[in-house]
Amino acid sequence: MEARAFSPVLKKLIPVLLTIIIVAGLYKFYGAWAYTTKNLAEFFRLTWEHLVLVIISMAAAVTVGVGLGTLMTRKGFDHLSPAIMGVVNVWQSVPSLGVIALAYGFLPLLGLSGIGVVPALIALFFHAVAPIVRNTYAGIQAVSKDVIEAATGMGMNPKQILFRIELPNALPVIMGGVRTSTAIIVGTAPLAFLIGGGGLGFWIFTGIALMDMGIMVAGAVPVALIAMLADSALARTEKTVVSKGIQAEEYQVAM
Amino acid sequence: MNIMLKLENVTKIYPGAEHIKAVDELSFDLPEGEICTVVGPSGCGKTTAMKMINRLIPLTSGKIYIDGQNVNRLDTIELRRNIGYVIQNIGLFPNMTIAENIAVVPKMKGWDKNRITERAERLLELINLPPEEFMDRYPRELSGGQQQRIGVARAMATDPPIMLMDEPFGAIDPINRDHLQNEFLRIQDKVKKTIVFVTHDIDEAIKMGDKICLLKAGKLVQFAAPETMLTEPANDFVSDFLGGDRTLKRLNLLKLKAAMRPDPPVIMEEESPEKAKAMLTELKVDNLIVVDAEKRLLGYVNHEALEKEADEVRKVTRPTDSFMPASSSLKDGLSEIFTHDLGYLIVVDDDKKVLGVLNTEDIREILRR
Ligand SMILES: Nc1ncnc2c1ncn2[C@@H]1O[C@H](COP(=O)(O)OP(=O)(O)OP(=O)(O)O)[C@@H](O)[C@H]1O
Ligand SMILES: [Mg+2]
Repeated sequence: MEARAFSPVLKKLIPVLLTIIIVAGLYKFYGAWAYTTKNLAEFFRLTWEHLVLVIISMAAAVTVGVGLGTLMTRKGFDHLSPAIMGVVNVWQSVPSLGVIALAYGFLPLLGLSGIGVVPALIALFFHAVAPIVRNTYAGIQAVSKDVIEAATGMGMNPKQILFRIELPNALPVIMGGVRTSTAIIVGTAPLAFLIGGGGLGFWIFTGIALMDMGIMVAGAVPVALIAMLADSALARTEKTVVSKGIQAEEYQVAM
Repeated sequence: MNIMLKLENVTKIYPGAEHIKAVDELSFDLPEGEICTVVGPSGCGKTTAMKMINRLIPLTSGKIYIDGQNVNRLDTIELRRNIGYVIQNIGLFPNMTIAENIAVVPKMKGWDKNRITERAERLLELINLPPEEFMDRYPRELSGGQQQRIGVARAMATDPPIMLMDEPFGAIDPINRDHLQNEFLRIQDKVKKTIVFVTHDIDEAIKMGDKICLLKAGKLVQFAAPETMLTEPANDFVSDFLGGDRTLKRLNLLKLKAAMRPDPPVIMEEESPEKAKAMLTELKVDNLIVVDAEKRLLGYVNHEALEKEADEVRKVTRPTDSFMPASSSLKDGLSEIFTHDLGYLIVVDDDKKVLGVLNTEDIREILRR
């Protein structure tokens, strides 16, 4: 009984402990620790810039992605959906560096600056929005027609059907899209430095340029940690917002 | 008798399929508290006819009245909230618990929480699913039959006077289906809803319907009580659809009560064997039913039994299994007659009081009618 109660805690603890050991090892081995403590103010500023990039572009991508994905399932827009999905799919295959480069190259054509935080945010947003649009659309489409018919026949209006039936039932799929997008944004954010977007990319690219592993690790490890934290936070969110009636079975066992 | 549902020359032509009338000039009146089973071959327009009632499908022409009101004049959303609706594939909301599923319409109607919970518990009890066990479960944690029952309970949540059910027991194996049908009839006996019940199974239509609406290619072929349809099919299509075993189907439909000979000769347990013998001779019968002072069935006596010395009939009475409640079907009764040696069946009420007797000749008689 006790061993059973103990093992889930242990299971969760092991990866955390391993991460700490590896991070500490990396910091010590490459001298990243010394570099970080020496430049603590800059470390906080870069981390802050990085988080702002990730959070703002993510928030925009979720809002627009879920909105557009939902709109595509509404009557009257359904004939546009295949075209939009086509664009979305092609767009998603453009590599991260390409998106950054496109922002740098194209924004000036629209009379906007290609350098700075805003172009970086725009690039990240465009890169991350595709999976959310796609999953929202697919998730709502996948809600059983029977369920929709039952809801209509019981006298729900279209708004009630959307918010009480379609979106809640599509949520696991939508959350899958959000997690993919988060991974993309967190992975691409360091590149924002290349077009003046700031963030931890500064240390990473400086380290590479100076061939100084200490500086590079001091930038790369926090980036990796942010990615891990973001994903586990999303997993937790998913568990609370997705109805137990449609969660994957593994969560049920964990109860 | 109040006409609850009235269809008047209802016609549906789907856009893009102008050459066929999915429903063609359909008219019928359904009295309050009755079940109308809509039956016919696949594609004959059953579902279309039903969905026009709650306006899931717009009418091409004709009129539908609910309790005297033209449904086209009513607010669609309001109309639907006042009609219980069970779709063929159940359609429970997977993201909601059973309690939440049942609460959907009551919530939209603004009921308070306590009333909704109370109602959900009552409904679960009605369908024989213990509330404490089922309220907080999710649809995927239920068997198909249980889901089907929740679907029916959900449709009854606000006690709507009318219910529409599209093959509600379609996805269920024959044994459980029979069970659900009986349970549903038991509930209907209490709640007396006006129900349109779509099925493609003629046996189900006969069993469940107070009226049967038989469609063919969108047209009404016959609208009648099951017994009438079985005895007087309107044409060859109807008799073919009812099948070659129409007589057996009537056996299934008719109750012992309708065919039995009431008040058969009986003898009280404390009477003398001499009196019993005299009655046997006088009535020219082989055996006599023995009852107690309350007229409850004890057994029977015949000449052979009465040979033995005894002061009261009770002492020589032989037990029998050849009896059945009056609500059983003639089919079950007939089978019982053949299984036992009495040559006839004793019809009793729920307290085992003797109501009548029935032999094969009586059954033949009623089927000839
Ligand atoms: N949305 C639609 N558009 C065009 N034709 C339709 C549509 N829905 C049904 N039909 C046609 O209308 C006719 C009646 O269909 P309906 O679904 O009412 O039949 P049904 O009696 O319920 O059949 P089943 O027993 O197979 O469920 C059929 O010929 C069908 O092909
Ligand atoms: Mg149908």
